Amino acid sequence: MATSDSRSSPSSSDTEFADPNPSSDPETNSERVQSQLESMNLSQPSEVSDGSHTEFSGGGDDNDDEVASANGNEGGVSNGGLLREGVAGTSGGEVLLRAENPVEMEAGEEPPSPTSSGYDGERGSSGGATSTYKADDGSEDEIREANVDGDTASQHEAAWLPGKRHVDEDDASTSWRKRKKHFFILSNSGKPIYSRYGDEHKLAGFSATLQAIISFVENGGDRVNLVKAGNHQVVFLVKGPIYLVCISCTDETYEYLRGQLDLLYGQMILILTKSIDRCFEKNAKFDMTPLLGGTDAVFSSLVHSFSWNPATFLHAYTCLPLPYALRQATGTILQEVCASGVLFSLLMCRHKVVSLAGAQKASLHPDDLLLLSNFVMSSESFRTSESFSPICLPRYNAQAFLHAYVHFFDDDTYVILLTTRSDAFHHLKDCRVRLEAVLLKSNILSVVQRSIAEGGMRVEDVPIDRRRRSSTTNQEQDSPGPDISVGTGGPFGLWHFMYRSIYLDQYISSEFSPPVTSHRQQKSLYRAYQKLYASMHVKGLGPHKTQYRRDENYTLLCWVTPDFELYAAFDPLADKAMAIKICNQVCQRVKDVENEVFLQGASPFSW
Amino acid sequence: MASMSSGDESLRLCMFDLRRGQTEGQELEKILFFYPADLDFSTQLSVIGLSEGLITFTRLFSPEAACEVIEAERHSHVFYEAEPDIWMVMVVEKNKETGAIWRIDALRRVLKEVHSLFVMFHGSIRALIEKEPTGGLTRSLLYPFITDYLSTFQIWSLSEDCCCEFFVGKKLQLPTFRETLRERGTVQMLTLARDTAVEVQSLVQVLDSCAGSLRCHSMILFQDLLVSTTLSADDTVDLFTFAVMRLTSKALSSDTSSWSYLRKGPGSSEISSRSNLAPVGSIDSLHSRNGNNMHHVIRPLQNDKWTKGKDGFLITDIWGLETGGSPDSAIPTIWLQQTQERMYLLAYQHKSLTLLLLMPTNAIVNGDLSISAVKQQVIEDASLRILKIEENISRGWGGENAYHIKGYRYLVVDNDTKVSRSSPSGKVTTLAKESLLALNKLREEVDSEKSRAKGQEKDMEICIRAKNNVWVIARVTRGKELYMALEKGSDTLLDTTDAVGRFSNRYCSGAFLMD
Repeated sequence: MATSDSRSSPSSSDTEFADPNPSSDPETNSERVQSQLESMNLSQPSEVSDGSHTEFSGGGDDNDDEVASANGNEGGVSNGGLLREGVAGTSGGEVLLRAENPVEMEAGEEPPSPTSSGYDGERGSSGGATSTYKADDGSEDEIREANVDGDTASQHEAAWLPGKRHVDEDDASTSWRKRKKHFFILSNSGKPIYSRYGDEHKLAGFSATLQAIISFVENGGDRVNLVKAGNHQVVFLVKGPIYLVCISCTDETYEYLRGQLDLLYGQMILILTKSIDRCFEKNAKFDMTPLLGGTDAVFSSLVHSFSWNPATFLHAYTCLPLPYALRQATGTILQEVCASGVLFSLLMCRHKVVSLAGAQKASLHPDDLLLLSNFVMSSESFRTSESFSPICLPRYNAQAFLHAYVHFFDDDTYVILLTTRSDAFHHLKDCRVRLEAVLLKSNILSVVQRSIAEGGMRVEDVPIDRRRRSSTTNQEQDSPGPDISVGTGGPFGLWHFMYRSIYLDQYISSEFSPPVTSHRQQKSLYRAYQKLYASMHVKGLGPHKTQYRRDENYTLLCWVTPDFELYAAFDPLADKAMAIKICNQVCQRVKDVENEVFLQGASPFSW
Repeated sequence: MASMSSGDESLRLCMFDLRRGQTEGQELEKILFFYPADLDFSTQLSVIGLSEGLITFTRLFSPEAACEVIEAERHSHVFYEAEPDIWMVMVVEKNKETGAIWRIDALRRVLKEVHSLFVMFHGSIRALIEKEPTGGLTRSLLYPFITDYLSTFQIWSLSEDCCCEFFVGKKLQLPTFRETLRERGTVQMLTLARDTAVEVQSLVQVLDSCAGSLRCHSMILFQDLLVSTTLSADDTVDLFTFAVMRLTSKALSSDTSSWSYLRKGPGSSEISSRSNLAPVGSIDSLHSRNGNNMHHVIRPLQNDKWTKGKDGFLITDIWGLETGGSPDSAIPTIWLQQTQERMYLLAYQHKSLTLLLLMPTNAIVNGDLSISAVKQQVIEDASLRILKIEENISRGWGGENAYHIKGYRYLVVDNDTKVSRSSPSGKVTTLAKESLLALNKLREEVDSEKSRAKGQEKDMEICIRAKNNVWVIARVTRGKELYMALEKGSDTLLDTTDAVGRFSNRYCSGAFLMD
């Protein structure tokens, strides 16, 4: 793929001989699992083998007919049924178009390559806004054994690029098995739909194994959630005919990995709606991969966000810091747009909200917002022209398509207008033109650009002496020379904080400050927060009220109150009493600037 | 009648050998043990098939550590590789209403314990299989052994059915979250006054030399607490566990205190005899083997088989009758892990004091003579000291709540010496269910942090104020662990830290330094 990076891992043949478990033949291994399940399960032996022994060749076997007929159905009966029944009042024909005729998807799109749809997953290294999120996704991407501490730091600084990597791998490659985090989507007949690494078609056998495990447990009247082995967790999520599996040796909690699968499923629903279930009802061996063709970048960008975007585990959204009056003004225009029959109107800056509004009684779940902005941000085609595209908001209504009008004002700032009407393109375009006029007149776009440049709250700004500042940034300390010595950070060792307002469903996260500077450190801090979050929100018991947690890496403090949640990270040697005091000051500081960092009084969102 | 246990899905426990039964049709060969034994083979095989499948599957990604647990909606499957390729899997039903909430590591320790005890009496399973490749011998030993062991978890439960409320069912109650302030696989020590400690030391010396030039090992218990041991930490844990289960004064006396059910499974003889049939009747006949050549099966964990003799030594007929055949064969023997030596086990009891004496079997040429000489020696040289020590300890003994510390509910574990101390169970039960659940959950978190840290030492401190205002605390440092629940709603985080600090300073020599 065009996105393959220069730091690609050693090829499987290079590392094959180093396999610590040479006796196990890779190919027979996954088959062995199935045969073990099969042979032992005397009561229902047919279930596991049914349709699961797909050949690797991918062609010429008897499954070919099945696939072909399924595809034939797509164009006709089954998909027609899907569209008519699934999408009340709107036409979902785009599902089809997307798969077979992407040119019609977005006007003015350049002719797609055979493997890509309108969601250009192969944008190469051109970058764009998403590539500005630098992160060390590479540490997951890297093969574990090769990833010796420290020396790969430079690799981790490399810009993250969307799209699928390591397509040449499959479950027989040692390198593939050593990837830190796999995601799979498959159908309940064992057909692969998506794999983070490797070519789905080559993973048919592996997919069948996963299906066999799930259905074996299901046949025993139970449902498998998690398998643990050493540092590895295999997490399962069953959503009707769709199975999602994560295999990970990252230090993340089961709850969060399951949440990630849930978001992955949501992303799929956003593209296809839940009416995809009917295709499986009609034909169990339905092949879904063509419908998702070209969306690799959307999924890889979502998977990437699991390690940098707190919204993925806080289930809240974040706003771009802006003067109160400006945000209010923007909100007023957006509200007017909604009054003209638009369901939701959003002005976004990257993954942050500038302002948003919704029609009466319509509310937008933070997860929908996350998936929507990920979809828009990771699909290059949206940037090149104004687009009108069917999308589904899984939390709002998983059954039906909405229609999204998307327009980028600049590299970062874009508007999304959502409607139930498939013929609203021109109306929405008019709305955008009016909106743009107001934005230009009030200079909002340049204020947004300035806010991006200035960044959000900083730990250094937490006032010990309770100095009050009107802006969210500290101009004096904005110069590139804050004390970088390890163990400093903010006052009394405050390194970072996140504050989540419960009523607003919004969070604010401080900018990373020294010593949490490298992407590896930032990701590690997020993982620590995720654990803390999971620990506070224990199912059936939680939420707990307070938590203090110290290990070799951090001192973490967490408060959960009816109004807000605060997560703060300190130097591991921080003094407990001082840390508590600082946390109180952080809360005070956030309250001081809440009109600038949060979207206030968005009435449709008071849920 | 037989359906009574198989209808109960709350527990399945199996042991299988991955090196056996790899050809089609031979799958039953794998099974070394299955509870309940009367479950049909297809169900047994399906449990083992899933386990084996996932062991193979997880090794694709994690060759160094295969499947440890399967968490399903209704069941937890806990894996333990007891010996290379010999796996034990326990399937427990989760049920929030009945309080069937488990900590996986606590359940795995049950598997570990029963395997360690088995090895202590019978040697390793692999060695048994190699000695007798049909597996018949191994099965005939495992079935009664594990069933006897499980009977220690048996409790009586009243039937819900009001029409026959006198009808009482038997149920196995595994360690739930209510036992979160206990650590299986550790010993509990008695703290001795200085002068008593000196006396104990000299008694140990006497015991060590009571077989002349032969090196003996000894272990002394007061009630269910360890007073002294000359064994390695692992061997001490195994023998201590067995002693508390079957030998101590508490274990022997019929009307014991509140937790007598832990040792004395009512009706265990029935359950054992029934399951005893399994290897003979079903599996062996199934493999068309001659089922009648079963030699005498020793059941070391059999209940109600030990009594105190006139000379103070404990007597049992588990290993046979002293009158029949070779006299030495009637004396209990165990294997020591550390030295791989087979030892005779002699137990002597005076009131609450129990002494265990171990002598290498190969060193005694004329067994009976020497053994009785040793006994004689103990009575002559040690009985006075024993008398005095028992008196001293009893006088200073604070009773069941001796280690209760007011305001605290705690567990302290030293992983190096495998010693733990905790609040008396009677005091732990005063904690709210929510507090115990919160602590149990916290322990789970610590378990997973520890397993991730592998060999490296973990240093961490977690204080959580739960919904019901209880503070649950975990502190891990240098191989030691402290878990605590403090139900003082008004305390702040700093108050709580101080309270833990005071506890650590006064009772743990400051081992758990708090920030």
